[in-house]
Amino acid sequence: MNPAIEIENLGKSYRLRGVAKASIRDLLVRGWKREQAELFWALREVSFNVPRGASVGVVGPNGSGKSSLLGLIAGTITPTTGAVRTHGSISSLLELGAGFHPDLSGRENVFLNAAVLGIPREDVARRMDHIIEFSGLRDFIDMPVKNYSSGMYVRLGFAVAVEMNPDILLVDEVLAVGDLAFQMKCFDRIRDFQKRGKTILLVTHDLVAVEQFCDELKLIHHGRLVAQGNPSDVILTYLKTYMARIGNLNVEEHGTREVEFTDVRLRDESGAETGTFITGRRLVVEIRYRAHRRVEQAVFGFSLKTGNGFFIYGTNTQIMNVPVPPLEGEGTVRLALDPLSLMEGKYFLSLAIHSWDHATQYHRREDWYPFAVKNPGTAHGVFQLPCAWTIAPG
Amino acid sequence: MSLAAAFTRHRELLLNLTGRELKLRYRGSALGFLWSVLIPLFMALIYVVFLRLLGGRGVPLADIIIGVFAWQFTVQCVNAGLTSITGNANLVKKVYFPRVILPLSATLANGATYAMSLLVQFPLVAILFHVSGASFSPWIALLPVVLLVHLVFNLALALLLAALNVVVRDAQHLVGILLSAWFFVSPVMYNLDFVARHAEAHPWVPALFLLNPLTIIITGYRSVITAGTAFPAEPMTFLTLAAIGLFFLFAYRLFQRLQKDFADLL
Repeated sequence: MNPAIEIENLGKSYRLRGVAKASIRDLLVRGWKREQAELFWALREVSFNVPRGASVGVVGPNGSGKSSLLGLIAGTITPTTGAVRTHGSISSLLELGAGFHPDLSGRENVFLNAAVLGIPREDVARRMDHIIEFSGLRDFIDMPVKNYSSGMYVRLGFAVAVEMNPDILLVDEVLAVGDLAFQMKCFDRIRDFQKRGKTILLVTHDLVAVEQFCDELKLIHHGRLVAQGNPSDVILTYLKTYMARIGNLNVEEHGTREVEFTDVRLRDESGAETGTFITGRRLVVEIRYRAHRRVEQAVFGFSLKTGNGFFIYGTNTQIMNVPVPPLEGEGTVRLALDPLSLMEGKYFLSLAIHSWDHATQYHRREDWYPFAVKNPGTAHGVFQLPCAWTIAPG
Repeated sequence: MSLAAAFTRHRELLLNLTGRELKLRYRGSALGFLWSVLIPLFMALIYVVFLRLLGGRGVPLADIIIGVFAWQFTVQCVNAGLTSITGNANLVKKVYFPRVILPLSATLANGATYAMSLLVQFPLVAILFHVSGASFSPWIALLPVVLLVHLVFNLALALLLAALNVVVRDAQHLVGILLSAWFFVSPVMYNLDFVARHAEAHPWVPALFLLNPLTIIITGYRSVITAGTAFPAEPMTFLTLAAIGLFFLFAYRLFQRLQKDFADLL
């Protein structure tokens, strides 16, 4: 059986200058002859296949070429080199509300948008109620969409797009729009697509979503495919290689370096270094430091954030009344989380050494150490809370 | 993707976009479709007044009405065609469908408006005939042929300008100037008799007029509507008709060649 999407040596270049605004004057000055303009390769030498029924995520920093890739697969952009072959109908959630006309009502726009996506009119008429229901815009459906909020606009667009029932669904970062309730509905629809064996290509910065939904990840940087495979591995590669601002995370280090971290290792209960830990077992952070001068009353601190940057816990040796001797030369500090009460997910560890009054940061590594937690149990959440049930019938 | 395939495979989208053009054109205006009739009528009125002042009598009022309505159809197609891609940048950048549908639906929407305006034009012409003692020609059965030639010509213009305006944005400014020049060299507010009368010393002038596709089209309308108006069945006429066909093929080819870069250029 054919793969759903075949991508072969795909490349897309743009001319850095003079491509967008050709004018008669340019033509007279330069003639029709194409000058050797500087080329910007948005995507270069990318080859991969997406098997039928697979859910593949595409991640990468901003401007890495993810959206160009989706545009090329959707057919809106023409490749400069190579080719894309797709087998089956495509619906792309990159065009939520594309072609909505502000002066037409929601209902009129549904018909128009459906036609753009290739849904027959009878089908739309039949499913109109369903679309209105899903979008939650029953009271506003006959109002011109220029009076809609941006959230309403996107909800209507999504409602139409998912009604198309395509073989291949392309999703570009659109799930970030809309309120939480609507996002849940969207995710439900995507899961539904997966269950029915549809092929999904998801471009997003939401690393949690990508790990939840995808069987495989592609990491793109500067237009090239730099890593692919198992989502957890690719995410760790991504975070370690391109530590930059990622959503609410702020991967950076700063400080005076009077005392600095020289080596930090995350170990499990057997002492082995790893990136994946098990809920309820042990996590040890082994910190090697070097003091360049004698520092008294230093404080070691750590904090944890979830994969989407939500701060969940932080403490330090001062708060916990752990005496820290004057630091001179090198030494080792061990931080043990035992039992590890974090639930399944991706987390970020920050470490800091600062003076007792917080006036001086000696060395701070913000969101520097990503790790994953696997949970053999089935409870949900971020933390395992100690809890007990008491049931008294009657 | 051939034009025929665009018609059949994407009929739904074509109809929807054409419907959108028509719905939006007069939404929010009190007179609505009436404007499609009022504008050429006002134009006709203005020309009649000035022409009578400047050039004397001699051009039947019915000819001016027919000419102005037809001219207006071409102008509307030119303007709608120009912006059919640039004005739908959002659609072109985000969704794939044959781009030719955009200028095609813009032209069809104008064709529909024109067809409706003819329903007003005919009673008006009938009244004028009644007053002046003229009558309808039996050749009126050929009106659909003239309409078809006119539509093909307008579609070719729309395709050409839609594509050019994406590549060279100067197109829309240039077109404004060219349109006003074209208006005066086309027999809109005069007819070929008028030309012949004023150029008796230079018999090649009327022949030159026949090189203008709009001369053929507008004179075509007049000769199938008005009894006694001759159609200039000369070799030059057929040459120009063939040129309209070639022009259409050229415009379509050019559009297809340029369309792959539309998303990058918008």
